[in-house]
Parts: sequence; structure tokens; C-alpha cells
Amino acid sequence: MKPLDLFRLIIGNLNRRKARVALTAIGVVIGTAAVVILVSLAIGLQKNATEQLYGIGDLTQIQVMPTFGDGGGGFYGPIISKPVDGSSSAQEEHLLTKSALNEIRAIPGVLEVIPRDYFYGSATMKYQRLDGWVNALIGVETTDLANLGLEASQGTTTLSNGSVVVGVMALSSFYDPNLRPGEEPPPPPDLYNQQIQLDAVKWDNEGKEVHKMLSLRVTGILTETRGESDYAIYLPLAQVKALNEWVNGARIDYNKSGYNQVIVKVAEANQALDIADQITQLGYQAITPQEFLQGINSFFVVLQIIFGGVGAIALLVAAIGIANTMAMSILERTREIGLMKAVGATNRDVLSIFLGEAAGIGFIGGVGGVAIGWLAAQGMNVLAIVYLAQQASQQGGAPPSVAIYTPAWLIAFALVFSTIIGMLSGLYPALRAATMIPVQALKYE
Amino acid sequence: MTGPFIRIFGLARHYQMGGTTVRALDGVNVDIESHTFTVVMGPSGSGKSSLLYLLGGLDRPTAGEIWVNGERLDTMDENQLAVFRRRAMGFIFQSFNLVQSMSAAENVAFPMQFAGVPAMRRTERSHDLLKQVGLADRSHHKPSELSGGQQQRVAIARALVNDPALILADEPTGNLDTSSGASIMQMLADLHRAGRTVLVVTHDARMMRFATHKIFLLDGHVVSEAEYQSATLDAMSDS
Repeated sequence: MKPLDLFRLIIGNLNRRKARVALTAIGVVIGTAAVVILVSLAIGLQKNATEQLYGIGDLTQIQVMPTFGDGGGGFYGPIISKPVDGSSSAQEEHLLTKSALNEIRAIPGVLEVIPRDYFYGSATMKYQRLDGWVNALIGVETTDLANLGLEASQGTTTLSNGSVVVGVMALSSFYDPNLRPGEEPPPPPDLYNQQIQLDAVKWDNEGKEVHKMLSLRVTGILTETRGESDYAIYLPLAQVKALNEWVNGARIDYNKSGYNQVIVKVAEANQALDIADQITQLGYQAITPQEFLQGINSFFVVLQIIFGGVGAIALLVAAIGIANTMAMSILERTREIGLMKAVGATNRDVLSIFLGEAAGIGFIGGVGGVAIGWLAAQGMNVLAIVYLAQQASQQGGAPPSVAIYTPAWLIAFALVFSTIIGMLSGLYPALRAATMIPVQALKYE
Repeated sequence: MTGPFIRIFGLARHYQMGGTTVRALDGVNVDIESHTFTVVMGPSGSGKSSLLYLLGGLDRPTAGEIWVNGERLDTMDENQLAVFRRRAMGFIFQSFNLVQSMSAAENVAFPMQFAGVPAMRRTERSHDLLKQVGLADRSHHKPSELSGGQQQRVAIARALVNDPALILADEPTGNLDTSSGASIMQMLADLHRAGRTVLVVTHDARMMRFATHKIFLLDGHVVSEAEYQSATLDAMSDS
């Protein structure tokens, strides 16, 4: 039998029992819609979570830190206290020296290797009569912060001596120290192209505060990344190094002690894990936000399977409905089956016809279920986003852009799955039809 | 081909019914030449329908051999039988067995789907055949819109659709009034005259007029016409 003839015959057979096909398909509609809605919800949650997590860092960046020997301190310990000639644990010590950076730069897929350092002391900012906290004063050995994937909402991302580029949230850290109770706090100042004072503080041996003032022009304000850069202020590395030398009271030689931290920028986010592994094998410590993401993704995959499984229970009930309808139909059409065989239908033809009808019911139900599931997901999405946006505005944080998400693959999967379910439930009745003895089928009353 | 068109040898068909074995056919030997009009007569329960279904490859014998046109049916598998039926056999049933949801033309064309005949050719052929049985103007009617005689004519057209050498008819006039029955008999006779081998199972004595060959069955055995007459007359006088 030709596929097109088979297809036409199946359509004709389904068409002549519209009411029964429709009633049976409703079960599949409900099951498929449940699968689509629940899996969409799980995917939406995942997207939502991942979106928020993008704040933990650019996925194309790897943070690399040196491995100190047994005698070494923490990552941010004042490196100057370490013996630079480090004899005790030379084998285990992997410092981020110039040659180390070249080693990392040689890994395929690495675009940039950018050393950076934090200011060890504490610092505040002053602008007119306002004071501001400095959450992180970061020195970066690059002329352009765009190399770290940062963008400016105002001004430039280039770094030069005497200027500073600040994260957008750093502006909100300004407060009026002379504010009286009950007075409205001032709005965050617009610092772009303004001169600010950086007040670095250290304590001398007698515990007395020593201040060092730097006058800096704000040449750029960064766009929000929901990460560290939002609260940071950026200077050229040399300037931060000078400040750290002032705090330590000793010279820092990065060639001997190595850098405290290096940002490795890779071409593609999906290379990050692999390159991080290679860097770890070289003996350094590498951290990539991908690792967090992976763990979170696998959690959501489990969630999708569980949600999908709940929906699948509804589909199972529908499958029993299809099996029942097909069994009834085959009983009613026993003589027709006998006739088909008498006029030359093979067992395989009969099997194909009835399997096709069962699959057709599954497919019709699948189309209905996908349509209803998709519409419901869209509706719920709108409601959920409104609700979550309210929550976000009350509790702070960014509102989600998506709550329930139906990807194209889910729609395709639901259609294929419901069709296969239909076919499987029709298998037993169809096999019975195919193996009927023609003479008995013809004489069936 | 050597030997007769149909050769049935030692054919037996036994059923289990409850605890007892029903011997529908028990050691039947029949030879039928091609281009004959064979009438199989017998009272109900004589095994005549069993003979027809075994000959058509719709049932399996308990024992014996069935040869049609040089091919042995009793050793074929299901698939081979299906192909054989579509190639060499045309069936006509007492209850017509038309698909109610299909039009007359679709019913006639139905077997050609399984033979893989292109759709255009199917339409052409079914209309030709309906014209041949005098139902050209009824081709779009559903079986429920046709009389019994018309339905049986659609069934005859369907039996002819794959141009089979052998036409098997099981009580073709059993559900029809006298005049419709007569016209169906005439139609079968015409098929025979056109060169086909026709085998009709019936207990309608009028069919005998057309027969070139007669087979009488009693209790699963082939008997002579004289034995058959006396047995059926005895039965009549007994009752």
C-alpha cells in the first residue's frame, strides 16, 4: 500500500467517526497541555534563574589565581609578606608571573589575559558635600575596560592616569554626612565628568589613621551588569599598585611575586569550562561562572523531568482512552477487516491502517494540547511577570523578563510524543486486527 | 500448466466447538477445469462455505492440499496468501460486505489500493466496472442508498477490479429478491462466458441452469447428484 493512499484512508476512517475521535482526543489534549505548561514553567524558572545569575559574571571570563605553596597565605594575603625566593615549597607554588601569563595566553581560545588587583586598604570618595563608600577599588592592567566586557552608559571605558571609571551603583553609595533626621536623602549625584576626591586610609604602627588624597575625574560610568563592576571603581593597575605599596610600605614586584588575580577572556562561553580545566592543570586556580551555571542547569533539568512526568501521567490516562477507542473500533469493524484481507490487504497493511488511526488520534490531541498549553503559558506568563515585577520592586532586585517559556523544541517534542503515545496505545488493538483469521472476521456478527 | 485449474486433494477442515470436533470437510477431492461455471450445492452445514473459503485462501485446512492455477495455497504464509488473493481471486459475499462509509466507486476501487494502483487509474477502472454492471449513474451513492441487487452488483464490480482468473461467490443471491437474484445469476453467467472461472456456493436451485460443473456436498463429503437428491428428498419427506 502506498503511503499517500494509507494516509488518505486513515484520514477518511477518522473522519467518519468524528465524535468518538474528538472525545478520545480530548484526553490527549489535556495531557499534552499539562506537559507543555509544566515543562514551560520549569524552563521559565531556569531561564529566570540563569538570567539573574548572569550577574555573577561574564560567562566568557575565567578568574585565575595563583597557587601558593604550603607556606602561602590566602588569595588576597599581602603577598609582600611571603618570601619571594620561596625555597620551602617551590614545587607546589604557581605564581602568576609574566611567563605564567604567556603560558595561559598560549592556550587556544584565549583572547586576553588581563591582570588585576584590589586596593588592600580602605577608601572613601568625596564629592562636594557628599561622602561615598568605596566597595572595591580595582586596578586593571588594560587601557580599556571593554576588554573585560564592560560597557559605558556615559563617557568612556578607557582608563588613564588621573581619571576613574565607576560602576553605576557606586553613585548610590553617596550620602550626606550632615543629613538631619527627617530630611530627604539626596539623590545619587551625576558624577560624569566631575572631579571627585579619593580618600585612601591606612594605619601606622601606632594605630593612627594616615590619609592619602587623590583627585580624579570621572570619565566613564559603566552600564549595569548585576555583578561586581556595578559597585566597583576602576583605576589603572599601576595606580592601585602604587597605593598598595603605600599601604604596605614596601615595593611590589609583580615579576617576582606574581599577580594576585588575572582575568582570562575567552572567545566563546562554551569554551570557558574547558580552558579553565587547562589552566587548573597548569597549576593555577581557575574559577568560571560556568561552573555555577552547570550545577544550576542540571537542577533545572531534573525539575523539567519531574514536571514533565506529572504531565505524562495525564497523557497515560489519555493513552488508555485511545487503546479503548481503538479496541471498540476494531470490534465494530471486524467484518471490514475481513473484507480488507479478502481483497488482498496484507497483515502489515491492516496493522498500518489501525496504528495510523491511533497515531492520528494522538496527533490531533497533541495539536490541540500544544495550542491550549501554549496559549495558557502565554497568559500565565503575563500574569506572573506582573506579579514578580511587583515583588521585585518591593524587595529590590531586577524584575524577571520571563516566567514561563515555551521553546520551539518543546512544541515539536509534545507533538511527536503525543503521536507516539497514540501509536503505542493502538499497538495491541492493531495487532489483534492484523492477525485476525479472515474467514472468522468475515463471519463476525 | 498441467493438470486441472483447481485441484483439491484429501481436504479436511475440522473445528473445535465446545468439546466436540465438527468435521466441516472430511477428505474432499475435487478437480475443476478453468473457464468452467461450477455450482457447489449443499444444505447448510454441509461444508460448502468452508470449501469456498479454503479455496480462497481465507481459511486454513486441517489436512489436504489445495492447488489453484499451479500454486499450492495450503503451504503459503499469510503474506503470500494476501498477495495471491489480490492477484487471482475475486470474492462475492451473501451480505455484500461493502464499506458503508464509502461510495460505490470507492468500494470498487478499494482493493486496488492494496495492489498499489495509482489513484487516477483506480478512478478510471472503478467507473468502467460500474458502467459494466449498469450502475454508472450510482457511482457516488453510498451502499445505504442502493438496493440489495445494486449493492451486490457493486460487489461484483469490486470482485473484478484486479482482473482475477477465479471468481468465488458465497450465496450471492441469498439476500436478494427473486428478480434481483436472477439478474445477479445472469451477470455471473456473463462473466463465465467472458472467459473467467466462476465457482458459486448456493442452495438456490435456479443457479443449476448456468452450471457447467456441479459439486454436491453432504456432511463434509462430496456425493453424486443422485445420492444428493435422494438424501435431500428423504430429509424433506421426514419433516
